[in-house]
Amino acid sequence: MSEDAAILDYLAKGGKLTSPDNAPSRYRAELMRVMASFVDSELAGAAGFADLINEAPGIGEKTAAARIVLEKIDHAVRVLDIMGEFGANIARYQSVHPWASRIGRHEDIGATRREGDMRLNVFHYPLEGWTDAVTMNVLMGRATVIQLTELARCSYQPLAEAFQSILPEEARHAELGEEGLLRLAASGVGAKKAIRESVDYWRPRVAASFGGADSPRFAMLKRFGLRHNPNDALLTEWSASVDQCLSKIDA
Amino acid sequence: MAHFYPLSVTDIRRETRDSVVVTLEPRAEDRADFNFIQGQYLTFRRKFDGEELRRSYSICAGRDEGVLRVGIKKVADGWFSSWANDELKVGDTLEAMKPMGAFHVPLEPERARHYLGFAGGSGITPVISIIKTVLKEEPQATFTLVYGNRSANAIMFREELEDLKNEYMGRLNIIHILETEADIDLFSGLLTREKCDALFGRWVNVAGADVAFICGPEPMMLTIAEALKAHGLPENKIKFELFASARPGKAKKETANGKAAASGATCQATIIMDGIRRTVEMPKTGQSVLEAAIAAGLDAPFACKAGVCSTCRAKVIEGESEMEANYALEDYEVERGYVLTCQCHPLSDKIVVDYDQ
Repeated sequence: MSEDAAILDYLAKGGKLTSPDNAPSRYRAELMRVMASFVDSELAGAAGFADLINEAPGIGEKTAAARIVLEKIDHAVRVLDIMGEFGANIARYQSVHPWASRIGRHEDIGATRREGDMRLNVFHYPLEGWTDAVTMNVLMGRATVIQLTELARCSYQPLAEAFQSILPEEARHAELGEEGLLRLAASGVGAKKAIRESVDYWRPRVAASFGGADSPRFAMLKRFGLRHNPNDALLTEWSASVDQCLSKIDA
Repeated sequence: MAHFYPLSVTDIRRETRDSVVVTLEPRAEDRADFNFIQGQYLTFRRKFDGEELRRSYSICAGRDEGVLRVGIKKVADGWFSSWANDELKVGDTLEAMKPMGAFHVPLEPERARHYLGFAGGSGITPVISIIKTVLKEEPQATFTLVYGNRSANAIMFREELEDLKNEYMGRLNIIHILETEADIDLFSGLLTREKCDALFGRWVNVAGADVAFICGPEPMMLTIAEALKAHGLPENKIKFELFASARPGKAKKETANGKAAASGATCQATIIMDGIRRTVEMPKTGQSVLEAAIAAGLDAPFACKAGVCSTCRAKVIEGESEMEANYALEDYEVERGYVLTCQCHPLSDKIVVDYDQ
């Protein structure tokens, strides 16, 4: 068995890697892709949310929004550091894409990437005001928690550990969003209607961020130990979690 | 870019018949860069027959020992390890990157943690670094080491481990498993699942452990991890480090390509950047166009070096090339001749790549 084949066999059986030197080239590429997708999503998410700090209605909401922006950038940096160990040029990386750029509100890009920018599809769409931002944060926040829980088991141990440490903070962001959304919903019928419109807008877009049910890439990522549960299982989990959350709004 | 620092060899100790322990000293100005964490490794580079070889070896010193020391076991067909065992001398200079690796947990001196360590052969090197460090810096910590070797005379750090056992009386427990020579069945043979089950039942308290470190060949690591989980240790408390010699030194990554082999092995690459043309001779395999450009002193743009971010995009305006991976370029861009130079290898004997388009 060649060296790479031995390591791929080891990974397929649940083995973990801790050093870039041991990563076969294809594994390395897929791992970098997972990391780039996370980093780009965090940077783009933070950039989009930063504008909303000013629109936050109260000082508590401003603090929460600012904290979310700060921590998302910090999460990106933690994963970028791991990319750096694989030879990525960290200083340059963060200036590669215009993170705050957005497409039109009603353009449809499905789940595709754009121009080498690896952010998840959902971070290409613009936020429209405070209620919309909070709603998106709740829906995507729940998705992030599920997606990170999945990646926190990945076979590259330094990354798995980074995600384990990031996870509680991302969970807190989702909670902050939920607290904000409940406060908004309590303010009247008009607010509830606005929330429902935002949910209708964001729900299919966040759902698309889970990827297709029959993704051929998933099979490979699973062999590499980078993924464990298929996209549709995670999507189902998210959908139930969102239903449960939204029932509190309608109550 | 990876930066290498010179380290001078101040001592070489023969540890077993086929392993040496090498003590290294960084230059005064680099000393802070070589403050390592227990369990980390150094990556060395050296040219053999004109080809650069990079190999990583774990540091076997404790964090507070004040020395930088690696254990190098000779592996079959391993150029670097054979050279280090047979030819390296005190006074020589080695080139190494800063210590790297995440095979550790942060120290918590106030806690009384119980650690488990599993080492196969030279997999002991990072583990002994961890043992020395935690016993010293966590005064209430205890450590159980299960250490597998072919035979008694192949045991690396045998005396040092005995000394540690005496120094930290009652806090370090060592179980040697020998493939041959052991009198008691439990302590002979390979570390199979059955053997793990027997050990964990009577000798090792797995469920009460705070963290387990495993370093050795792949099958051993998988077996032990499975057994640990079955005996109640959660997966996130198991730390893996793949055996250093699992990947015997090879020079550069090869890309299999028949076409490239058919003509010459090198390509004359002309790289255009900021309006300036530079022509370099580069191999068709083992080096990307980006690496060739950087090696030629050009300030070529790159960020991820994994075919993901598209920072290193350029257009091939003459000649043929192929990409190892491409997550960034659309099909229509590829059709127009755009490539990610970090993933791009020439196929033809001549190629012209333009970063300005």
